[in-house]
Amino acid sequence: MSAANVISILSSKKARTMTEPNPAAEQWADALELVAKRQDTAAFERLFKHFAPLIKAFALSSGLHKQGDHLPDELVQEVMLAIWRKSASYDRRKAAASTWIFTIARNQRIDMLRRLSKYRGDVSADEIWDLESDTELFGEIRQSRVQEHVRIGLYELPVDQRQVMAKVFLEDKSHQEVADEMGLPLGTVKSRVRLAMKKMKLSLEAYDL
Amino acid sequence: MSQWHPQTEQLVEFAAGTCHTGISVAISVHLHYCPECRKRLSELESASAVLFEHQKPIAVSDNLFASVLSEIQQGKVTESVKPAAPARATSRYPKALSSLIPGTLEELEWRSPMKNLKVTHLMTDESGLIVGLHHMKAGGRVPNHQHRGDEISVVLEGGFSDELGTYGPGDFIFRTEEDVHSPQADAHEDCLMLSVVSAPVKLTGALGWLINPFLKA
Repeated sequence: MSAANVISILSSKKARTMTEPNPAAEQWADALELVAKRQDTAAFERLFKHFAPLIKAFALSSGLHKQGDHLPDELVQEVMLAIWRKSASYDRRKAAASTWIFTIARNQRIDMLRRLSKYRGDVSADEIWDLESDTELFGEIRQSRVQEHVRIGLYELPVDQRQVMAKVFLEDKSHQEVADEMGLPLGTVKSRVRLAMKKMKLSLEAYDL
Repeated sequence: MSQWHPQTEQLVEFAAGTCHTGISVAISVHLHYCPECRKRLSELESASAVLFEHQKPIAVSDNLFASVLSEIQQGKVTESVKPAAPARATSRYPKALSSLIPGTLEELEWRSPMKNLKVTHLMTDESGLIVGLHHMKAGGRVPNHQHRGDEISVVLEGGFSDELGTYGPGDFIFRTEEDVHSPQADAHEDCLMLSVVSAPVKLTGALGWLINPFLKA
C-alpha cells in the first residue's frame, strides 16, 4: 500500500469520530440488510415509500413518460425488484444505501432506454457499470464525507451551476446535449460543471485524490 | 498503475450513464485496471445520489407496491439470498468485454489492414462508434497514419509507445483526428488493445470496419 493510501485511511478514521452518524442513511442501510437476511417485507415497504417517488422523478427527468405513460412506473417496479433481488450483494462498508440504489436506478434506466430505441445492444448495463467490487474498507466513511461536502456545496451553488449539475448528473443528458438545450457553448457547460464539482470538493483529475 | 486516464467530463458522463456505449465500454475497461478512477467514480456516484435524493418526489400509482410485492411472492424473484453471480472466472479480460469476447481471441475474425497490425470488430454502438481489438506484434511498428475522427485506445496486454508517450495495461489514450502517430509495440511482448473509433460518414456499409480505423495509411 502506498503512503497516500495510508494517509487517506487515517483521515477517514478521523472523519468517523468527527462526523455525526447520519441516522437517515443508517436507516436505509439497515432496511437493505433486513431485506437481504430475512426477506423482510416491512423493511422493503419503508424503502419503497422513500425511494419509489424519487425513482419516478428520475424517470420523468429523462423524459421516459414521453415514450409511454406507463414507463415511469414500470421503471420504478423494475428498480424495486432489482433492489429486492440484489440486496444480498449490498455491503454497507463500501457504499451508502442511497448511492447503491442510485446506481441500480441508473443501470435499469439505461437498459430500458436501450430497449425502447431501435438499437439492440450487445452489452447490458450491468456488464459495463457493475465493476469488480473494491475491497476498500472505509468506502462508506469516504462516501459519507463526500456526500456531506456535496450537500453543503449544493446549497451554495449559484442557480446556473446547480441547474447544469442536475441536467448532467440526473437528466440523462451529455454535456453536449445540455449545451444544445440551453443554447450555451459546450465549454461553458463544462466549466460550470467543473466549478460546481470544485465547490463540492469532488476530485477533478486523478491526481487530486 | 495506469498513467493515462479519461477526462473528467468523460467520467462524469460515465457515472451519469449518458455516454455512448462504445465509450462506456472503454471507460469500464480502464476502471478495471485503475483504482484511482474507481475512487473518482465512486465520488461521482455518491454526489449523484445526493442530487437524486434532492429531487422533488413524484407519487407512484396507488397499487404499485402491491404489484411489486405480488411479483416477489409469486416467487419470480428468488435470488435475494445469494449474492450476484460472479463474473466468469475464466475470462482474462475485464467484465465489460465478457459478452464481446465470449471465447478465445483465435475464434474472432482478424484482418490485417497495416503492417504489424491485426484488427477485429467487436460491435458498432447506437451512435456508430466502432469497438474492436488491435493486436500489434512484439517490437512491431505500425506505419505513420492519421485517424479520421477521434479514437480511444485502452491497453489490455503488453504495451506500446508513440511520439506522445509510453503506455501499459489499463492506459486510456484519447487521440483526435489531427494526431498523426506511428505506434510501436514493446519489444518483449505482443500488445493487445481495445479500440473505439467514430465511423467515417462514407463508410457505414457492412465492410466499413475493414478499412476504418486506418484510412490514410
